[in-house]
Amino acid sequence: MYLTAEEERVLRGEEGEARAKALEVIVKVGEALGAERLQPIVHAHVSGVSYNNIGEPGRKFIEDLANMGARFSVPTTVNPIGFDLEAPEAFDLISADREVLEGQRAIVSALHRMGASLTLTCTPYYIPSVRGLRPGQSVAWGESNAVVYANSVLGLRTNREGGPVALMAAIAGRTYYYGMHVPEFRRPRAAYRLEAPGGYRLDYARAAVLGRVLVRLHRGEGPPLLDASVDRETFKELGAAVGAEGDIAMVFVPGLTPEEPPSRFEEVVTIDYRDVEAELESMRLDDVDLVYVGCPHASAEEVEALARELSRLKPKGNRPQLLITTSRDEERRISPEAMAVLREYGAVVLRDTCLIVSKLRREGLRVATYSYKAMFYLSRHGLRVGLESMEELARRLGSEA
Amino acid sequence: MTMELRGRQLVPGRAAGQAVVMDALSFYGDVDPHTGRTPDGRSVASRVIVARRPRGSTVGSYVIYALKANGAAPAAIVMSRVDPIIVAGCVLAGIPLVDSIPEDQLSKVRDGDLVELDGSGVVRVRRAAP
Repeated sequence: MYLTAEEERVLRGEEGEARAKALEVIVKVGEALGAERLQPIVHAHVSGVSYNNIGEPGRKFIEDLANMGARFSVPTTVNPIGFDLEAPEAFDLISADREVLEGQRAIVSALHRMGASLTLTCTPYYIPSVRGLRPGQSVAWGESNAVVYANSVLGLRTNREGGPVALMAAIAGRTYYYGMHVPEFRRPRAAYRLEAPGGYRLDYARAAVLGRVLVRLHRGEGPPLLDASVDRETFKELGAAVGAEGDIAMVFVPGLTPEEPPSRFEEVVTIDYRDVEAELESMRLDDVDLVYVGCPHASAEEVEALARELSRLKPKGNRPQLLITTSRDEERRISPEAMAVLREYGAVVLRDTCLIVSKLRREGLRVATYSYKAMFYLSRHGLRVGLESMEELARRLGSEA
Repeated sequence: MTMELRGRQLVPGRAAGQAVVMDALSFYGDVDPHTGRTPDGRSVASRVIVARRPRGSTVGSYVIYALKANGAAPAAIVMSRVDPIIVAGCVLAGIPLVDSIPEDQLSKVRDGDLVELDGSGVVRVRRAAP
């Protein structure tokens, strides 16, 4: 691999042991993938920070770096953890015992010492400073849903970085020049057209199912191009489904993706909306114990939309619990009116938290959500999960007056 | 029966072990970092994972690293296609990794076959007589 004089200097340890080690890992991964050079980055987002997931080995890995004196060379944000840092007991179904609390606080503190902004959210793309980055700039992001959103909607360039690689890239200020950083690899060669009657609405749940269908259909090189009417908000669930179900880092959506779409394709595939409907229909459950919104973390607009649905109904006496996970920044943007509606329904709103990486107190819990990503991972943790639209979730909680 | 598959040695090293065959693999969710068990009860510890393609979470690299630290790591990983998540985990944990084995050849490998990596991208597969 070609290295600049400055990169050689860093590798020799002239900017400290930690930066040398970080760059060495980036170079090794890049060489294994056949990268010819390194790529400077302007931002990093670190995944793999939940103690429940990475345990003692992961904690030691991160703490050792901090103790070695590692510091992030670019603005760095951090993924969520298994509970609300300020209120670990806020939700009775999530357990955070002493060992987990202690291990998790150690990880968060090590990241803070290295200079991370403790956003603890899987939606860094809602953060104003991140939205200010320009299309075409390279970043190193872990968190598969965020990677797909970054490439597809923000026009930022990032591969699906493994948690430790995003961390090393943040320290080194560089990643390997490969994959999504290379303009040629961002050009779609296959197009997928959703065929649907006029007025067909791709809501969150349907966008998620469409993402899953897309992953199953798409083979071959380059990102798929999707011709369907998704907006920034519903794309979030589509991208999250794509990130969970497959290894695709980008979905090119004309009108949403800032880059210029090609005029010709090697392959054009039609997706019938009835396939999306049939698949969604097959994913329903009868009774559930929990309605879960906020995977990926809910935006303020999303919570407002849910509150609007709920405000048209009256809370049922015997209803499932309602859990919403979001970031601290987005939570502050939710209107007092919407919060009042949520309180009427006894909703629990958690910050910092990802239910997928939480330790749940009950096996076999039945959950309804419009997030295919939540369904994908929670069902692997022994939960029964059904997928349905926001309107249907609201009707589980309330009934017509 | 013996087969010889040719791929690309991405992370160096020789290794041998019984095959654990999977289709799409996300280390997070599909392999327990403490025990090396898959949801269907198989173990990847000291075996050779043979999988078609990657999927899912970017936490996968840490799971590979944790498997090594917990003594439950696979001896090697052989795939048709990989992603940076798996490459990074194997680099950090020093687990030999081969990719670019054509899918039609990879699909001939069965659970329990003895798989041997010679370190140059060549993967030999032997099946015990029934």
